[in-house]
Amino acid sequence: MAALSAVPRRSEIVRTQRERGGWIAAVLPIHYPRALLRAFDILPVEVWGPPGVDVSYGAIHLQPYVCSIVRNALSFLQTGGLDVSDLIIVPHACDSLQGLGSILIDFVRPKQPILPLYLPRGRRASDLAFLADEFRSLYRRLEEITHRSPADAELMESIRREEAADELLAQLHQRRKHLPLTDIQLYRLIRAREYLPVEMFSELARAALAQVAETPRQGIPIILSGIVPEPMSLFESLSDMGGLVAADDLACCGRRLYPRGLSDDPFRHLAESLLDAPADSTRGHPIKERLEHLLQLSRTSGAKGIVFYDVKFCEPELFDLPGLRKGLQEAGLPSATIEVDINDPLSHQTLTRLEAFLEMIA
Amino acid sequence: MSVGGLLVYHLNVNVLGRAALRVQRWQAERKAATGVSRWKGEYLAPPLKIAPRTKELVARHWLQGRYANLHRKVAWVTSGAPIELLKALDFYVLYPENHGAICGTARVAVDIATVAENAGYSRDICSYARTDIGTMLSGKTPVGKLPKPDLLLACTNICQTVLQWYRVLAHHFNVPLILVDTPFVYYDEATDHAIEFVKRQLEEAVPIAEKVAGKSLDERKLKQAARLSKLASQLWLEIMERNQHQPAPISAFDEFIQMAPIVEMRGDAVTVDFYAAMLKEVDDRIAHGISAVKNEKKRLLWDNLPIWYRLRYLAELLGEHGLALAASTYTNAWGELAPLIDPERPFESAARTYIYPILNRGTGHKLATMKRMVEAYHLDGVILHSDRSCKPYSIGQIDQRDRLIRDCGVPALLLEADHNDPRAYAEEQAANRLAAFIEMLE
Repeated sequence: MAALSAVPRRSEIVRTQRERGGWIAAVLPIHYPRALLRAFDILPVEVWGPPGVDVSYGAIHLQPYVCSIVRNALSFLQTGGLDVSDLIIVPHACDSLQGLGSILIDFVRPKQPILPLYLPRGRRASDLAFLADEFRSLYRRLEEITHRSPADAELMESIRREEAADELLAQLHQRRKHLPLTDIQLYRLIRAREYLPVEMFSELARAALAQVAETPRQGIPIILSGIVPEPMSLFESLSDMGGLVAADDLACCGRRLYPRGLSDDPFRHLAESLLDAPADSTRGHPIKERLEHLLQLSRTSGAKGIVFYDVKFCEPELFDLPGLRKGLQEAGLPSATIEVDINDPLSHQTLTRLEAFLEMIA
Repeated sequence: MSVGGLLVYHLNVNVLGRAALRVQRWQAERKAATGVSRWKGEYLAPPLKIAPRTKELVARHWLQGRYANLHRKVAWVTSGAPIELLKALDFYVLYPENHGAICGTARVAVDIATVAENAGYSRDICSYARTDIGTMLSGKTPVGKLPKPDLLLACTNICQTVLQWYRVLAHHFNVPLILVDTPFVYYDEATDHAIEFVKRQLEEAVPIAEKVAGKSLDERKLKQAARLSKLASQLWLEIMERNQHQPAPISAFDEFIQMAPIVEMRGDAVTVDFYAAMLKEVDDRIAHGISAVKNEKKRLLWDNLPIWYRLRYLAELLGEHGLALAASTYTNAWGELAPLIDPERPFESAARTYIYPILNRGTGHKLATMKRMVEAYHLDGVILHSDRSCKPYSIGQIDQRDRLIRDCGVPALLLEADHNDPRAYAEEQAANRLAAFIEMLE
């Protein structure tokens, strides 16, 4: 698949951005206003861990009951992994990310400015007003740091570009079965949105969508739910077992299919878009809404079961699990739970459970 | 609410219950008058004389709860929630976290939490939540019976966990959930838009709470509830500050037990009376040279929630070595915000008060608080309880410990445990660490 082989590596993109004098923001999970950063010519490069770093550096500051995404992010920072970034953005997704943001500001104090961002947990008029103000506040911080002041028109232009890319991303999700991509290829492309400039991502997405086939890919269709699908070899293992990820409810993927905002004010527009994204445990959606979202995904994708693939110690996900599983069971949709540490390879036990689950729903 | 229900309520709570609790209190007071303590009396002061009254007050609160559905609307709230609004609307207010602590102290938390775990709730989530979800699913509780909520109020100023937890409660009970979302304060001051956000949510909560209560909010009642909250919090703060006296008249262990009314009965006149009486007793102790630890040699600070199921063990262990736990960041949190409460501006001041609890502020702010307490309370060391169940309180403790040692020159110990789940606590390991810490102090 030509489009996939052309997906540039993260390091290449970062180097190119540096060489052309652009700024780089390391962005921790999960939600943030990408278009706002791009209007300042800041390239957001997301940090979901990453897996495989020396976690002992994070352990200097964090207890062992903090999840591996947060511990790895700190270890990655401490070992120079974020040296290429000019600033670090820490959106508020949970108590652990809140704690990480706080110790970065108060104790670790890296060379880059730390910009925390609070995301409200409701979708009321007050939440919308607050989030728009929070984005205005972020704008002012970026102004101070970069000495740039993009006008509203520039912000709106950046928003339009990102929204167009988000629509292409949504199409990749919707047409996934008809794309000539394996699951791992598809998710490499989808997750390239975590670091690619919008133009490059859109070009790749268009190239993939241009090759939509009549006949869908075959496999036992499942929904994958959780925060992040690491290690990515999960997709290869699922494919080997005859599984097909027909849809996802992953925080780094399907929960970030942002709809267009409506307002003319750019900050309010961005806030509308973020607040209207699919149900997400970290943004405080009621269990019932998450359940309805999962059932809707299963109807549209034809999924026969759901795999909850959760990172150990992730409270937002763990609290919802029993209620979701009970509701799914009542609706006749089987589910399985897998708990992982992003540093560990998939255990034999995990693979056996996945295999047994796929056999059961086949 | 039927007339029959009302009669049952009054008979059980105000007639039989009141009489039974009065007798129990009288018996406990007689026993306390002998000066004999269940805890090691050779090292520790006798229990506070007010303790039987505390027990009566708390027991009466839970007794009212047992029959509350017959008589009043019931709200379940988080411990840092702005309850003045609910008090003004005559809700019976129940604190699941306090219920969790009661289960922990009564050592039934594991049995109850296991029900939740068997229903799929991971042992990696907060043990208070697991305990209360276990009660929700099984009805098991040491307080007789919990009333069903008509309304839930979750305020995120203590953690995001409470929101997840209350989503579970809302899903189970199918009742409205009011969310008061308090943006985390990373720097010295909350932003204006964050305070405005909290204020606006409080205003938005009024019609929801009014609808459930079936009555309109009376502003005079709201101001009165805020006034009583402020008075009780001030008295509680004064009580704790008396421990700046050397030797300390009470210990943080006493505070852990005596804090129940300030948490679950804030906004009530009876709570103000109670803490006024307690302050008097603490002053009497100072006047008569009574100290919490009989032979006080060193004074310590406790950080984080207590280890509810090992209070006595820790009190006796430290007491044996002449170590007084003179202050705690946890109990301090229920008093330090008293100056921010302005009863004449209930919404504006509540927005400020409820955004600034220590748990909603940065790790640097907590370090500064601890440093101030080390100074003000003349402390010689710090025990930081690294609480597996409370990430917002615990993250940052490793750096805080290092800086307390470096900047204040006091030994500081990170003690791994869990506030309610003894399965996450290793006694032998804790004892070894405490022994080494005590050696450093001596």
